[in-house]
Amino acid sequence: MSIRDGGFIDELRSTENSRIGLYALLLAGIAFYLFPVETAVMTMFKTESAFARTLPFAPPGTDGFTLDALTTAWNTLRPGLINSLLMAIPATIVSALLGSMTAYGLTTISWRGQVGVVVLIIAGIFIPYQAVLVPLAQFWFQVLPGLLNGFVNTVFGFITGGNWQYPSRNGYVQLLQLSITHAAYGIPICTLLFRSYYQSISDEMIEAARLDGASAFSIYRNIILPLSLPMFAVTLIYQFTQVYNDLLFALVLVNEPASQVATQRLAALTGGVVQSFNTTMAGAIVAALPTLLVYIMFGEQFAKGVAGE
Amino acid sequence: MAQLTLDEVTKTFQDDDGEIIAVDEVSVDIEDGEFLCVVGPSGCGKSTTLRMIAGLEDITRGEIRLDGQIINDQPPARRNVAMVFQSYALYPHMTVRENMAFGLEESTDMPDDEINERVEQACKDMGIFELIDRKPGELSGGQQQRVALGRAIVRDPEVFLMDEPLANLDAKLKAEMRTELQELQHDLDVTTVYVTHDQTEAMTMSDRIAILNDGVLQQCATPLECYHEPNNLFVAGFIGEPSMNFFPTTLEGSTLKGEWFEYELSDETVAAVEGTTDITLGIRPEDIEFVQSDTRSNVFDSTVHVVEPRGNENTAHLQFDESMDDQFIATVGGMKQLKSGQRVKVRFPENAIHLFDTASGEAIRNRTLDEIETVESVV
Repeated sequence: MSIRDGGFIDELRSTENSRIGLYALLLAGIAFYLFPVETAVMTMFKTESAFARTLPFAPPGTDGFTLDALTTAWNTLRPGLINSLLMAIPATIVSALLGSMTAYGLTTISWRGQVGVVVLIIAGIFIPYQAVLVPLAQFWFQVLPGLLNGFVNTVFGFITGGNWQYPSRNGYVQLLQLSITHAAYGIPICTLLFRSYYQSISDEMIEAARLDGASAFSIYRNIILPLSLPMFAVTLIYQFTQVYNDLLFALVLVNEPASQVATQRLAALTGGVVQSFNTTMAGAIVAALPTLLVYIMFGEQFAKGVAGE
Repeated sequence: MAQLTLDEVTKTFQDDDGEIIAVDEVSVDIEDGEFLCVVGPSGCGKSTTLRMIAGLEDITRGEIRLDGQIINDQPPARRNVAMVFQSYALYPHMTVRENMAFGLEESTDMPDDEINERVEQACKDMGIFELIDRKPGELSGGQQQRVALGRAIVRDPEVFLMDEPLANLDAKLKAEMRTELQELQHDLDVTTVYVTHDQTEAMTMSDRIAILNDGVLQQCATPLECYHEPNNLFVAGFIGEPSMNFFPTTLEGSTLKGEWFEYELSDETVAAVEGTTDITLGIRPEDIEFVQSDTRSNVFDSTVHVVEPRGNENTAHLQFDESMDDQFIATVGGMKQLKSGQRVKVRFPENAIHLFDTASGEAIRNRTLDEIETVESVV
């Protein structure tokens, strides 16, 4: 089609039509994804009776509006939210950092037996949580305390007098254990994400840095790390969501009520005999706030990282 | 500044099918301040050789010496060499200034203000001072090339290593940078090893050319020696554009019998090729003469197939027999007219022909020239 045969106008018109179609599709997509959220938000502001009377997604009337559900949910979840952040933020940062270092060592530096290690790490991604629950609990409850007691008393026996005890599994110890567990469990997937990114980095640039006299660590610190920032956004979002949303490890490792994480609190909130949908929805929204904030904060970087820019 | 010696340097790689020899006992002495071009087709081992000098590849056998010191086991950073890569390999997150300072920061304990001074001076020398605070992504290809060169210069190395540094530039910029690089190398007087697959670059820039094929050094000589006195068929065919014409022949008495012609040799030449019967005759396109009617020997009839005008000269593709695929190339002055299909007589002057042993490829007799070093002066 060219301007001469008048096709240009047709082309323009068809472009416009397809554009309208595109936006219609996008709007439909947004509606589809936001519909459940909207329903949850509406439900959380309704009284029990208003919930029974109205359609789930309809707004509460003036008589059916209440903040009680939100207040209950917030009060129940608040300590859990803080515990979750205390546990998830270090776990996320540590596994992203270690993953990036591991990937660097497995991609940019070459050494014998590398492939074997890569295979093991990839296999690590596919170990189901359920398979490690028992050994994990035994490790934290018996093996590690035993080892530590023995080690400290043997090596520092003259100081401890041979009766050092592993600290009782109080709240903070439990949270720390959970955090370390998540950090370790996150390393394989983070390594894989960083590895595919590092493979796209030019070898010549690394060689140029070697010729410039940079050591392996200096290359990581000055070249690789600054170039990995978009990938860090991807792993931080992904890993934070994973760790924050986990309930299984938390149930096994944390039993002290004061150190329960948000997901445990949420389970307690909704696990009553009588189902109160408004409190449940309020709890879900409150619990989802941190992940939502992380997405909003790192969204742009995330898109760049995923697009491989 | 230093003298660089490669002594029977060999590199082998392990493959599923056994051992692959990438570089086979290459020995070259590179004098202090010399500009050596290493040329050869893709996969001939030229880049591997350069990377061994840089320390980026292990040396399987042989020695590399810098001023008499063996540097085989020295890490790249300790060799005091600077390399310019084909892809420039600039650090994308650093400004030009940071890119150039990085090497000095990492390899010396020079104070910051001195580093800064040297970087700024190098930028001025390279004409990129106004770009000093930009990042590589904001620069054109030619500008990035300059930064890459500047990054090598600022280190003040003993040896420059360049791996096809001009390959990514467009033709005009390439020619410009060629001259500039040559001047720069001359001014700095730093020993330089320059790898390229482009024989024009090698011819125009270097003091000497080392030609590699299949990992084996074919010849290492000045550009004119390589051009006029090639060691073998490979060098003869690789150096020169358009390439030398080759005709397989058999020697019978004093006659070279080819598929389409018989070439009479003088007694002197016959004596020189004594003992070889399968001979390849080579002649450069510009040495083929177009003649009217000539009673001298070695004049052949042929047909013009295609003419490529280049302005300063015409490249003519000629055929002895129109029905066959055989073609050879002759160049004539740009003002001489030739038409496709035209019948012409061509003469191969005996003092311009090269004779090679067809079996081994070795040159038996090169063209006769008065001493190459005394090619006539222009003025």
